[in-house]
Amino acid sequence: MARQPYLAMRQISKTYPGVKALHQVSLEVLSGEVHALVGENGAGKSTLIKILAGVIRPDEGGRIEIEGEPVEFASPLDALRRGISVNYQDLSLFPNLSVAENIALGHFGGLRMNWKAARRIALDSLGKLGVELDLDAPLETLSIAKQQLVSIARAISFDARLLVLDEPTSSLSSNEVEQLFRIIHDLKANGISVLFVSHKLDELFAISDRFTVLRDGEHVGTYDRSELDESRLISLMVGRSVEYEKQLGDGSKIGETVLDVRGLGKKGQFKDIHFQVRSGEIVGITGLVGAGRTELAQTLFGIQPPDEGEIRLGGKPVRIRSTQDAVKMGIAYIPESRQTQGLVLQQSVARNATLAILRRLAGRFFLLDMQREREIADSYIHRLDVRPKLPDMPVDQLSGGNQQKVVIAKWLAADPRLLIVDEPTNGIDIGAKTEIHRLLRELANQGMAVIMISSELPEVLAVSDRILVMRRGRLVGEFANREATQVDIMNRALLGAPLKFEKQGKGAAG
Amino acid sequence: MRFLKSKEGGIFLIVLLLFIVLSFLNPVFLTFDNLIDVVQTNVVLGILAIGMTLVIIIGGIDVSVGAMTAAVTVLIGKFMVGFGYSLPVVLLLAAAGGTLLGAINGFLVSRIKVQAIVVTLGTLSIYSGLTMYVTGGVWINNLPQSFIDFGRIRLPGGIPIQIVFLVLIALFTAYLLKYLRIGRSVYALGGNMRSAERAGISVARVQMFVYSYMGFLAGIAAFVHTSIYRQVDPNAFNGFELQVIAAVVLGGANILGGSGRVSGTLLGVALLALIGNGLTLAHVPSFWHKVIIGSFIAAAVVFDVLQRRRIEKQLVKIDVLQS
Repeated sequence: MARQPYLAMRQISKTYPGVKALHQVSLEVLSGEVHALVGENGAGKSTLIKILAGVIRPDEGGRIEIEGEPVEFASPLDALRRGISVNYQDLSLFPNLSVAENIALGHFGGLRMNWKAARRIALDSLGKLGVELDLDAPLETLSIAKQQLVSIARAISFDARLLVLDEPTSSLSSNEVEQLFRIIHDLKANGISVLFVSHKLDELFAISDRFTVLRDGEHVGTYDRSELDESRLISLMVGRSVEYEKQLGDGSKIGETVLDVRGLGKKGQFKDIHFQVRSGEIVGITGLVGAGRTELAQTLFGIQPPDEGEIRLGGKPVRIRSTQDAVKMGIAYIPESRQTQGLVLQQSVARNATLAILRRLAGRFFLLDMQREREIADSYIHRLDVRPKLPDMPVDQLSGGNQQKVVIAKWLAADPRLLIVDEPTNGIDIGAKTEIHRLLRELANQGMAVIMISSELPEVLAVSDRILVMRRGRLVGEFANREATQVDIMNRALLGAPLKFEKQGKGAAG
Repeated sequence: MRFLKSKEGGIFLIVLLLFIVLSFLNPVFLTFDNLIDVVQTNVVLGILAIGMTLVIIIGGIDVSVGAMTAAVTVLIGKFMVGFGYSLPVVLLLAAAGGTLLGAINGFLVSRIKVQAIVVTLGTLSIYSGLTMYVTGGVWINNLPQSFIDFGRIRLPGGIPIQIVFLVLIALFTAYLLKYLRIGRSVYALGGNMRSAERAGISVARVQMFVYSYMGFLAGIAAFVHTSIYRQVDPNAFNGFELQVIAAVVLGGANILGGSGRVSGTLLGVALLALIGNGLTLAHVPSFWHKVIIGSFIAAAVVFDVLQRRRIEKQLVKIDVLQS
């Protein structure tokens, strides 16, 4: 069978204010091929897919061709009409509508909804997949795996020529994955191309013909499966060019154990988590997005209770039932989306900085002591070097890096024993990143225990004394900083087996 | 069997139970006159609640319904006093006036993209302010005799003409939701706005339609209301939006959008009507009506939210590695 490229994307760039998400990336997908798109978190995979789907538009200068003919997608519908169907990770279906409607929606141009035709279309495309489902069942009553099938059936019903599957197996069991792969084989045999985005290397190698690797928004290369093995693929994915100034301690500040987590588990999120954090120590927790890191942090901060296991603070077992409990026990948590969860954007720097200690600011008759609020805010603005040094400035007028400093100031004022930061430098420019790193080290040096969650390996390596790696809800690796490399860490994040922990013990072997 | 298991089925059973209890408690309840009276006084609520069902399905809200309806009653009242009555002209005027007011809401929500609660709170104030300006708060009486006669028409069996409006609107809207493309777009939008956009549905157009349709039904409701009471009280609909929204929520629509049906909403109206009538027949002071109806609404919403939370809890976020 002669194979011409069905899709060719050439020199695609996408610039956001201050960030280059994609730089001159090319992607070619042949007819009837399964093509894997791989890269670390933030490598630019989703941006590329969104451009392909017509959701966002690329910068000037790139070209997209379908069967040799240049095209421009102004909307998702344009892309769909040209045979490109994207299965988003969130599936993009309608939970309140029936299976038949979900598949057939968008097929009718007229005024009326033709239920008979809708059912026929649904039955037809489910039949092509070899799946039987109750056409009238509301989608929300189906398992995620079946919803995934509905989503694919919907794509097929539009005569898709290229099916984009974005992390399709992240919530499927192994049987369901096998069924999905059988379907992909059938599609392939019918000349339909599949662009497969996944972090599961074993699955990628089982199904893909070729691999395109992205790194830092750039095209590393496209390879035949025969040219690659897992370790080579990992070495292509990692090795980001950025290097940060190291902010490591010499170990002299490390003191007693502050946090001791034993066998912590939460159904459907994480399991068997054991680790300690000592005062003066920064522990980096890394892994792929969706490995359960944030869920773990939220449990430590009392946002959701664990199902099993024990948390000890300063040697004493504690139960953290709410965020108020956590704050009282001296835990601070800076979430990933600081704008929505960490700050009151329209309020001033001073108000934000003192938000966590209002109780202490309250004087007689519960009135807030404005004088003191000002003093505290001033001291943090200078200590953290927030710029401009204007306590009355609304936070939303600050740059991302300075916003993050205000969030940190808020928690410093509360003087926690344990600080948990989730992706602390997300969306911040490089200079400000280093400042945040230095700040975290300074806090540790003052005796705080710090947990830093980050997907960015250079950052993890620049700041953490110890590095924990999570994969699919389990701890799969533990490294001291000096013995870790990006490749080691990525290996564990992608392939690692769960570490074994002795009952009640702390040791790690793996 | 499927019906009894559905949300509507549950509400139906409650309505049925209430109906039986009331029949035993009060002999007046199960008389033809009382029942017809109950239906007739709730026709307007029913028409408005049907429109509100669409608004709530798309995850919106329209608190200006009462103000829109009042404005149209004044519009057609003034028109009839000035120019006389002709069924097609006045009905068309009511429909057009209401649609226009609703379209203003729709425009602000869909094109300017202001939140529906803010938009309709604003237009609630504007519409009712203008109504007060035009009438000075004074009732309009002396409506044409021909119009009053129309309002008194009874169909064979003694059924008031107004009920015909409700039945036609209910049938048409149910058909629209199920069999017209716009109806499916309404559900799709309420289920997942982003998916709807990705599927090529014009969110703005659907919102525009839904708020205009709400206005259209407010216009019809104004006509029906005036034909029942044969005079125009510019204050008749103050605070009425609460009852309308209550009927829809009691009828099983999800206040967060995505679900809701005409049949459920009609049951919600019936529930409100029976509670009200039962309390009246039992001589319970009217302020207790508010307390009791409010409790029903709170219970319905709490039940819905708890059920959703339970479903959410069972959701597996990560397929945890087994060792």
